[in-house]
Formats: sequence, C-alpha cells, structure tokens
Amino acid sequence: MSSETLWYANRATGAVCLVLFTIVVLLGIAVRSRTRLPGLPRFGTMSLHRTLSLSATAFLALHISTAVVDGYVDITVVDVLVPFVGDYRPLWLGLGTVALDLVLAVLVTSLLRERLGHRTWRTVHRLAYASWPVALVHGIGIGTDTGADWMTWLTVACVAAAVAAFAARLAHAARAARRTPAALLRTAEGARP
Amino acid sequence: MTATFPDLHMPPRLLVPGATPADLATHHQRYGPPAQVDPEILLRTFAESGLTGRGGAGFPTYRKLVSVAEAGRRTGRAPVVVANGAEGEPASRKDRTLLRLSPHLVLDGLQLAARTVGAGEAYLAVEDGATWLESALAQRTADPLPVKVVRLPRSFLSGQAAALARYVSGGAALPTHQRPPVRERGVHRAPTLVQNVETLAHLALVARYGADWYRTAGTPAQPGSALCTVHVPGREPRVVEAPYGLPLGRLLPLEGARAVLVGGYHGSWIPASEAAELALDAGYLGAGVLAALPVDRCGLAETARVLRYLALQSAGQCGPCLNGLPRIAGAFRTLAAPGPQGTVRADLARWSGLVEGRGACHHPDGTVRLVRSALTTFAAEVDAHARGHCTATDHRPLLPVPEEG
Repeated sequence: MSSETLWYANRATGAVCLVLFTIVVLLGIAVRSRTRLPGLPRFGTMSLHRTLSLSATAFLALHISTAVVDGYVDITVVDVLVPFVGDYRPLWLGLGTVALDLVLAVLVTSLLRERLGHRTWRTVHRLAYASWPVALVHGIGIGTDTGADWMTWLTVACVAAAVAAFAARLAHAARAARRTPAALLRTAEGARP
Repeated sequence: MTATFPDLHMPPRLLVPGATPADLATHHQRYGPPAQVDPEILLRTFAESGLTGRGGAGFPTYRKLVSVAEAGRRTGRAPVVVANGAEGEPASRKDRTLLRLSPHLVLDGLQLAARTVGAGEAYLAVEDGATWLESALAQRTADPLPVKVVRLPRSFLSGQAAALARYVSGGAALPTHQRPPVRERGVHRAPTLVQNVETLAHLALVARYGADWYRTAGTPAQPGSALCTVHVPGREPRVVEAPYGLPLGRLLPLEGARAVLVGGYHGSWIPASEAAELALDAGYLGAGVLAALPVDRCGLAETARVLRYLALQSAGQCGPCLNGLPRIAGAFRTLAAPGPQGTVRADLARWSGLVEGRGACHHPDGTVRLVRSALTTFAAEVDAHARGHCTATDHRPLLPVPEEG
C-alpha cells in the first residue's frame, strides 16, 4: 500500500471519526435525558449509542493504524499512547493522543461495567465530554483538510450539534434539580379540577 | 404517657405501668440477669417462639437472623446489627417510650441478636433521646460488643432498612435499590441485620423465659404481644402493650367513632362498625398505631393532611413517587373541600395504580393503601362533599402531622 493511499485513508477515517463520535455524544446525552428518538423504543437509544460507539472506535483504530503505518510521517506506537513526546507536530498530535487515552478509559470501564460499581463507571464515563473537544482541536490543528469548504462546514455542523445537545442536557439537569416533592406539591395544589 | 388497661388479662412484659425509666440495677431486679445461652439453642428458641418483627412488616425474626448469619458465613464478613429506633411515623410513640422506660431490655436484645448472627459491629439508631441512651450504655460494662448510638435526621423514611444502613455507612438517610438486600449488603457493605427496638426487647425476654412463655400471650397463629400507640380524641396518645387476638374495641373506645386508622400513615381506615368485629392482627397492625376518628370529624380532611405530609416526605428519587404523590395529595385536597370535584376521583384511582409497586421502597405503596382505604371508608362523605357540604362539625386537625421545614 502506497504512502499516498494511507494518507487519504487517514484523512477519511479522521473525518468519519469526527462525525461518528459527535453522533455518539448526542446519543449519550439522549440516553441520559431519556429522549425518545423517532421510530425507536426508548431502549433503542441506548443500544444505538453502544453500537455506534463501538463502530466509531473501530474507525478510530483504523485512523491511528494508518497514521502509524504511513512511513511519510514519523509516528511511533509510543506516540499513540503517550502525549506530546513525538517529533511530528507534538502539540496537535499529542491532543489526539490525550483524546484517545480518554476514549480508552471510557471504553474499558464500559466493557467492565458489570464488574465495576455504577458510580465508578459514571465518573469515568463523563471523561467522554472532555475527549470530544480535545479530539476536535486535534483535527483542526493537524488536519490536511482544515480550511477546505466541506471540512469547515462539517466541523461547524458537528460543533453546533454538540453545543446544542450539551446546553439541552444542562437545562434538563437544572429542571430536574428544581423538581422536588415540595415544588411539585405547590403546583398540584394550585391546579383546580 | 404509658398505661395499660386493667382488662387486658396480660401481665405487662416490656413496659411496667406507671414505672420510671429503669437503670441497669432496676432492670436486672425486674427481669433477672441476661441469658447466657449457646447461639444455636438461642436461634431454635427464637424459631419456636414465633416472634415477628415489630417495625411494621411482621417478618419472622428467626428467619432474618438465619439469613444474616448465613450471608456472613458466605461472604466471610462479620455482620452488622442495627437496632432501629427511628420511629419516623409521626403517630407512633411506642419505640421512644420503650427506649425511655426499658432501654436495657432493648440493649440486651441487641447483644443477643449480635451474638446469634456473629456480628462484629452494633448500632442503635434513634431520632431523639440519644444522650439518655448513651448514659444507659455507659452502665453496661459487661457487654461483649460495644454499641454506637446513631442520631438520625427527622424524616418519615429514615427508618427504612436500606436508608438506615446507608446513613450508618456515612451516606444520606434515603432508601436505595432493593438488590442486593440489606441483609446481604448493608452497613459498610457487610451483611446487616436491621431490627426494630421492640423486636429486640421481645428477643431479650424470649431468651430469658423461653418460647413457651412467649406463646402464653396472643393466639396460636400470632403468638405474643405488641406495643400499640392508641390515639383517643381529647387524650394524650397512650402506649399500650396488647396481645394479638385482642378485640380492637378493648383497646380503643369505638362508641362515638366514625372510623379507625390502623397501622399508621401507611395503614388503612376501617369503618368503626367493622373495627368492632376486628381482633388485633399483625396483618394490619403495622408499627402499632391505632387512631379513632370521632363522628364529628372529617376523615377526608384528616387523610388529606396526612397525604400532604407523606408527599413532602418522598425521597424524590423514584419518578412515580416524586411525580405521583404530590399529585395524589393535591387531588385529595380537592376532595377534602366540599364543592365540585371534576375528574378527581378517576384521577386518584389512575394515579394510585401508576405509583403502586414502582418505588425503591414501599413509600408509594403505603401511601396508596391509605388513599384507597379512605375512598372506601369515607365514600358517603366523598358524595356529601361533591354535593357541597361536609358532615363534620369540628374542623380542628386531629392526627399529628409534623410542621413543614
């Protein structure tokens, strides 16, 4: 396989990862706020979130292995796991490494979820919220296609969707915090038959 | 506060009428020294006695002891024993009365239960009177296991077994998932025996005097006696020890009563005519609250006040309880005021079905039991309210409901 093929494959899988991981984050928020997706029962949101996150991880593995195999840039296996130590654009590559490490933590704890306590799993799972923006910045900083129209619009769309979903999630949490028995009782007593 | 009716035909066991709080010397003089028996024999005695839990569920005590001891052997962890004196039920006085007058009987029982299950830690959880209990504990130098007194926050649910175990472990006093049960994983994740203080006091007496003695009171099916908090209008609530099978009318004057609340705020309303035929039964007695509602009071208004309190006491953790109980309380308030009722009766029936059995604890179930029994017992009153008038003449509140806050 020529270096050029690997280079194209690396760029393509990177873009696919951006889209897939954005969808995974949106689905995760949907699971948490018990949103029902059109045409799916509520548990469908959950299984879609799980399935797509594994697909996204497969694309991420492809994305990383093409970068390592590609001889044109010098990215070693150590660079994949340890951030900011490589020779090739250490900052931008390092951000990708950080995002990968966070994803691995989320992945491993999710696979071992039955054996971990729910609280441990949930704490680690929240790292996904940190991983997504770090990966995004990595893509913008290191990506060959940054600045191309299609990539700009793709990035803008993903960021807009994620920000909107996160805002909805915060609003949901704030609403839930206000739902106490006393508050609900006041509402119920105000209602007339 | 305490008294026994002269015609109960039962010598008092747990509470000596008119007595002052007993210190250790008085206690030993009254009941003799604590039993020193092998745990195996103790367990067999408890099984033969037929003693059941007095916290409200009426579960056979020896079965709980056996399962906690087994869980301890299986997990290799020494179990924890918690004496439950929470008494979150606002209408109940029996646990605090018992702890005030006979603390050493409860503490004897706690040591026995701890020995039977092989416990490594023991706690006594109460809302008030902790200082008095600590001074009682200080007198007991011969106890093999030290007991720590835990001060509980004032709430209806703090005495629920899982909530209690969570609080003693350092968490919030709120119910948790039912699985794994507290008897397998409770305080500090060890198998935990949570036992009502009255049960422990009975345990201490069964160990001293034997199963046959215990069975001399009560009926063959439900042996023994129970402490009841009896509410008669115009009088202080009284704590009475009564054998199972005793006609209810002997405990509570039923003439001039419209209905009786049995089993407390998670219990049921029974029309006075039916109550007159009833014998004291663990099936409905709950934690032993009996309250008479005179004919000049409105049962719907009383129930509405209690339901409002129960809704506010929801832990707010499970959706059906958090959303359902306030709506049920709001709807019942409409029912309690004479005037148009709209769809309230249908709403109450629907919401009751929706919340029942869907909580981590039984708070919604108990609340719904009260709602349904009130709608049945006070059906005529509901109709009168719909026509715009109330048959009650005295509108002062009757049942004790704590202030909000």
